[in-house]
Amino acid sequence: MIPPLNDMQLDALRELANIASGTAATALSQMLGREVELNVPRALALPLADAVDACGPPEAEVSGVVFPIDGDLEALVLLLIPAEHAHALCAMLGVEAGTDVGDSALCEIGNILGTSYLNGLAAMTGLALLPSPPTLKSDMLAAIVSSLLAATSGIDDLALVLDSELDVSGEACSISFLLLPTVGQIDGLLAPLGLAG
Amino acid sequence: MASVRMGEIAVSRDPAEELVALGLGSCIGLTILDRGAGVAGLAHVVLPESQPGAGPAGKFADLAIPELIRLLHSVGAVDRRFETVLVGGARMFEMSGGLDIGARNEAAVRAALSHYRISVRAAETGGNMGRTVRVFVGAGIVTCRSGGTSAVTLLQGRSAGRSEAQPAAAAAAGARANLAGVPRGRR
Repeated sequence: MIPPLNDMQLDALRELANIASGTAATALSQMLGREVELNVPRALALPLADAVDACGPPEAEVSGVVFPIDGDLEALVLLLIPAEHAHALCAMLGVEAGTDVGDSALCEIGNILGTSYLNGLAAMTGLALLPSPPTLKSDMLAAIVSSLLAATSGIDDLALVLDSELDVSGEACSISFLLLPTVGQIDGLLAPLGLAG
Repeated sequence: MASVRMGEIAVSRDPAEELVALGLGSCIGLTILDRGAGVAGLAHVVLPESQPGAGPAGKFADLAIPELIRLLHSVGAVDRRFETVLVGGARMFEMSGGLDIGARNEAAVRAALSHYRISVRAAETGGNMGRTVRVFVGAGIVTCRSGGTSAVTLLQGRSAGRSEAQPAAAAAAGARANLAGVPRGRR
């Protein structure tokens, strides 16, 4: 079993998420030519079932862009966009949601934002983070999140979720960023900060 | 309504109860009913195999099935009347090198069931879509819904005459099921 994280470790992880998603917010703002607000991130170490609940209503229709990270840290980065917000985002980009072009645009947004997020994370920690190409899936929130947590959690019933939210000003458009480290890899994030358990 | 989340198991003999696993992806929602006793159980299985020191029993196929059977027995269910429905086991993401946990989950659940000589009555598994399974305990109905569609019935309600369970309670639960937009079972 892995030991639970203490408050200082969770604070440090929250700060990591804050800086990483700040980098992503800047990228999104430049891409859309609009202001983007960044909500205070959450760092949650929870049993799997609670971690899924913390992400939102289980049956909510969302678009998820996921990419696996290798290198010094094994993790998944997941961008969650509520279905109606994905429509708004596509409209801002001048493409139609639900079409191949719309899907490809969402995937590309995910790619750019995810890479910015990782750059922020890498700059803070000095870790070499190697992203694989993103995959887009639109379905029920819980189906997406639980399947990814099943893959990252291993035998432990604990998920670490770093969650930050970007809001595009003046639009009903928000994007949640989730970093899901493979269990056993959390120390890899904390060690560069001098906080490994 | 009792929400059965990742790694959880619930059993009930309350005719008004509804057991639900919302948004199953690669996980399996395993339902076992003994409609003669008016009992139903639902396990939300996450992974095929446990290891020593592993988390809750409901998370792993090899531990979840004996635990579900034990809990069903404790509320009066009898093996020979078991009816089983499998939902889930999807492959949500096509990731290079990613293992298909959904398919492995389904294989492990089926293997464990056959070890206990339990056959599968109905299944809605595989593919690449999320699913919600609902079990109406009193009516003995099991439904499945995937994203953006309406629910389909995988296990119809009990037929009259074959059952000795309380008709009033079953009818009440059936009415509840109708309210939820679920097709009425044969009566």
